[in-house]
Amino acid sequence: MSMKQQYGQAKDNYHAKIIAKSALIFAVCVLLTLICLVPIYILIVNSTHSNMELVANPSQFFFGSHLGENIQTIMNKVPDGASKVVKRTAQQYSSAFNVGKGYLNSFIIAGSTTVLTVFFSALTAYGLVVYDFKLSGPAYTFIIAVMMIPVQVSSAGFVAFMYSLGLVNSFIPLIVPAIAAPAIIFFMVSYMKSSFPLDIVEASRIDGCGEFRTFLTIAIPMMKPAMAVQAIFAFVANWNNYYTQNMILKNEKFATVPIMVSKVLAFDKNLDNGANFLCVTLSILPIVIVYFILSKFIIAGVALGGVKE
Amino acid sequence: MASAAQRRIKAISYAKYGYMFIAPFFLVYCFFQVWPLIYTFILSFKGNQSEHALWVGLNNYSTILLGQGRAAGAAASQEEFFRALGNTLILWFGNFIPQILLSLLLAVWFTDAKVKLPGKGFFKVVMYMPNIITAASVAALYVNLFGDSENYFVNSTLMKMGLVSAPVAFIKGPIASKLMVMFIQTWLWFGNTMIMLMSGIMGINPSLFEAADIDGANSRQQFFRITLPLLQPIMVYTLVTSMIGGLQMFDIPYLYHNGANFNKQLETVAVYIYYNFNQGTVESANYGYAGAASIVIFIITAILGSITFYMNRDKDAIAKKKQRKKAEKQYKAKMKQGGLTL
Amino acid sequence: MSKLTRTLALVATLAMASSALVACGGNTESSTAPAASTAESTAESAAESVEESAAESSEAPAPASDLTNDDATLTVVCWTDADLANMFDVYKDQGLLSDGVTLNYQNCGGNGGEAATQYATYLNSGDDVDLFVAEAGWILNYINDDSFSAPLSDLGITEADYGDAYKYTVEIGTDNNGVLKAASWQAAAGGYAYNADLAKEYLGVEDTDAMQAKVADWSKFEATAKELKDASNGEVKIAATIGGLWQAFSTAKNAPWVEGTTIKTDVAKEFTDMVKGYVDNGYVDPSIEQWTADWTNAGLNGKALGYFYSTWCLGEGAQLEQNGGNAGNWRIINGPQTFFWGGSWLCLSPNCNTKLEAQKFTKAFTADKATMKAYALYSGDFANNKAAMDEIVAEGSNSNALLGGQDQFAVLSDVAANIKMSDSISKYDQSLKDTFLTALKDNIKEDSDTIIDKFTTDALAANPDLSK
Repeated sequence: MSMKQQYGQAKDNYHAKIIAKSALIFAVCVLLTLICLVPIYILIVNSTHSNMELVANPSQFFFGSHLGENIQTIMNKVPDGASKVVKRTAQQYSSAFNVGKGYLNSFIIAGSTTVLTVFFSALTAYGLVVYDFKLSGPAYTFIIAVMMIPVQVSSAGFVAFMYSLGLVNSFIPLIVPAIAAPAIIFFMVSYMKSSFPLDIVEASRIDGCGEFRTFLTIAIPMMKPAMAVQAIFAFVANWNNYYTQNMILKNEKFATVPIMVSKVLAFDKNLDNGANFLCVTLSILPIVIVYFILSKFIIAGVALGGVKE
Repeated sequence: MASAAQRRIKAISYAKYGYMFIAPFFLVYCFFQVWPLIYTFILSFKGNQSEHALWVGLNNYSTILLGQGRAAGAAASQEEFFRALGNTLILWFGNFIPQILLSLLLAVWFTDAKVKLPGKGFFKVVMYMPNIITAASVAALYVNLFGDSENYFVNSTLMKMGLVSAPVAFIKGPIASKLMVMFIQTWLWFGNTMIMLMSGIMGINPSLFEAADIDGANSRQQFFRITLPLLQPIMVYTLVTSMIGGLQMFDIPYLYHNGANFNKQLETVAVYIYYNFNQGTVESANYGYAGAASIVIFIITAILGSITFYMNRDKDAIAKKKQRKKAEKQYKAKMKQGGLTL
Repeated sequence: MSKLTRTLALVATLAMASSALVACGGNTESSTAPAASTAESTAESAAESVEESAAESSEAPAPASDLTNDDATLTVVCWTDADLANMFDVYKDQGLLSDGVTLNYQNCGGNGGEAATQYATYLNSGDDVDLFVAEAGWILNYINDDSFSAPLSDLGITEADYGDAYKYTVEIGTDNNGVLKAASWQAAAGGYAYNADLAKEYLGVEDTDAMQAKVADWSKFEATAKELKDASNGEVKIAATIGGLWQAFSTAKNAPWVEGTTIKTDVAKEFTDMVKGYVDNGYVDPSIEQWTADWTNAGLNGKALGYFYSTWCLGEGAQLEQNGGNAGNWRIINGPQTFFWGGSWLCLSPNCNTKLEAQKFTKAFTADKATMKAYALYSGDFANNKAAMDEIVAEGSNSNALLGGQDQFAVLSDVAANIKMSDSISKYDQSLKDTFLTALKDNIKEDSDTIIDKFTTDALAANPDLSK
């Protein structure tokens, strides 16, 4: 056996190994993909079946033809001739899961918190990085220290306090606290320290630019990538925040998507499986669509969050 | 040579702008976080139900931690709190271990240049997807699919396929329900952890792997000798954030039930706090217990948090110290050479 | 009509008396609130309120007509508005709704238990609330707190209006100080509804009397359960859920959950012993929860011979129909014990700013015979008015299509007359009942002492006020 042959064999062996390994990995990935997607697929399939179909056979794997009826139910648009039970069911679902209102409320909360969080976190980070003042060190230490305090810890006091201020059933306790987001400030400070040249501030001062204007016109554009990443996470987090919203918002007209879902889950009368599934589908639809549009960007953002350590 | 403008700018103190820029954060934080925390602290010294207006000192703490207190059911309250604490630990542990193992495996595979994996980008996108879905919807989804009888998708399908003869109690079963919550939590978070770990691995200097390759190290050796040790900081970070996240686990355990009440077998500390606090009128709620449990969790978090904090800070400080020493050495060396002029 | 005028006259006198009482009582909160809202109203909607009160006074010349609508919306806080939709329909059909007023339901929580915990926040939030609905299991929490509820005398409604009402509803609606604060539109009598086709197939039962004989007491019920199980190879259970059995078993005993501050577990223990036998023998499926899809499907799929229902389950569109009422051939009987189940009350919020409409609405459904009769016939619910119900039964005007034309009111009227719950209810009931049933179902394989122990542990942990 010549040297060359031996080498060739080893190489073939090596290639075979790599291919086998790749195939195994591919198979595992396909399996995980299925685990991630099948529940969502079944959810969507089930929301196209009527209650009676699901009662007769709950294991539906393919799309049905009753999506329209389920939409009618949760929009309270059932035909006039419908039976009382259908009407009552529609009334119950439509008032608890008022999908348009839910999207709007969630959007108002998530949108405003995102803007506030990102802007004020950038502002605070800028203040900490650019200016040299006596308390900047302790202030930053404080922010890091409180970064990991869970919401639940102060929730009892938070709700009791909002209650005494008359701020229950109001978006204010859900939006304004977003100004103070320690974790995002921490991220922005790290980002600024690594990629924000302080000279530029000085240059801008020489040009006679005011401090706040410098921040707005020079710092903000330069921090766009970090802000965009944090904006996405802030939006998702606030869109999905069930805990605080559920404690503060008791008036139906302020109900957000997660609250509506939990209400549908709590129903004890007029149950309609098809409508149940449709409600859940509608509750995740907007965010999933947006996710797939922005996925590349979001994945990159998560990775960036990981490097921050 | 400094220009006149530069001199003028240097002369101005900008400190006040620093305070101005960070003021909104501190005002809002104090108002919406610090004061509520103090308020919670105050609540923890007050009574429960009909005694809600009474100052009871450390009674709530001694009740939930030691089982001794004013209430006839003090021991029961202690039992419940520790059950909640135990559930929190079990549920956290049971989702963290599979999650970190799976994520690590995937991260290593995805960053392995030798593996030819088609659709890598697609896999990443799909695996991260559960993380962005509202937890309330996820709970609703699983409750509607995994109901305990043949009237729900999973049991019906399993029975039709002949895999089980009687429906599995995925929701009410004491063990099955915990396993389900662990599964759901893993399902939600493994994509996120995977991407974080991937970015950590990609941050490792590639020449280390090249050198290892040349030295003939196989991929297992490379993983245990290079990847894992260098990934340690990010692993610690993941561990601590996940631990603190685990202490707050609420949405899934609270909403994963069928029927009127939340599932007692899944009661976590966060659910305990919520349940004791949210019992309708002040006469029927237990603000005191909720407050005391909150403070206990706060202390646990503070301990966990300061561990990481010190680890990070020490590293920075050590690095700075080293740098300073190095600079001093260089300075001294240069002074010795006599080549440095000021 | 003569009845109406008589009632209104009574209301008038009592309203005056009670307003004097309130003034003397020095209850600043409830006496200043209406004054403030009246002042507001004169500025805001003077024209409208004049119109309203004019319209009212033409038919009811009483001081109660001083009441005005300061707000064009009557907001009723409840959990699912579908439950109240029957009242809303009748209110409109009878032409009772004042011009320019809209009825608005504010849902709080997805079910009654959730509502109990969420109301407090809503009611104190300052958002609009005129009336709110509360269940027997937790109503005492809300009517014994003046910040949540106001005396019905603020609307000119007093106990005298409830001469025809079932007495227990008035007793429960009265707070610890003897002030009437809530009124119910229903008498929550319960019965055992069974699928007659299945009964004929497996038990050979032809009519309701024969069926009643088969389940006349608990031992006969159990024997029939066995017979049914043997005949159907365990396919068909005699009752859909443990929860339903509990309802029938416990309320008939009329034993309080709480005596003083002590939790009483005698009835719970007795029931646990009984139901464990049922579960071991396969007479009931412990995994089925009330109010879930399983519960519904048990009836739809013919897995349950019967359900224990309350009156509000029996109308068109309600539980009976949802749980296979159309699919099977159902009948109702009294079952092993006469029992009752919950019931809901209308309570007045101290922040009510649509008092005129609130008064009209409350009166119509809790005290007015004509409206209540119309409501009973329309909804199938057992209205809280003996005269109206006796009339319906006597006329034979009610025939429930879901029950093969049976008149459920005839079956339930004796039950309603004998409901005693006022002396046994406590504000802890909802919480204790839920805790007990959860402990029972979660630990059904344990022995009954362990189950009771687990229940008391959970109950004591949740209620520091109570003791063993």
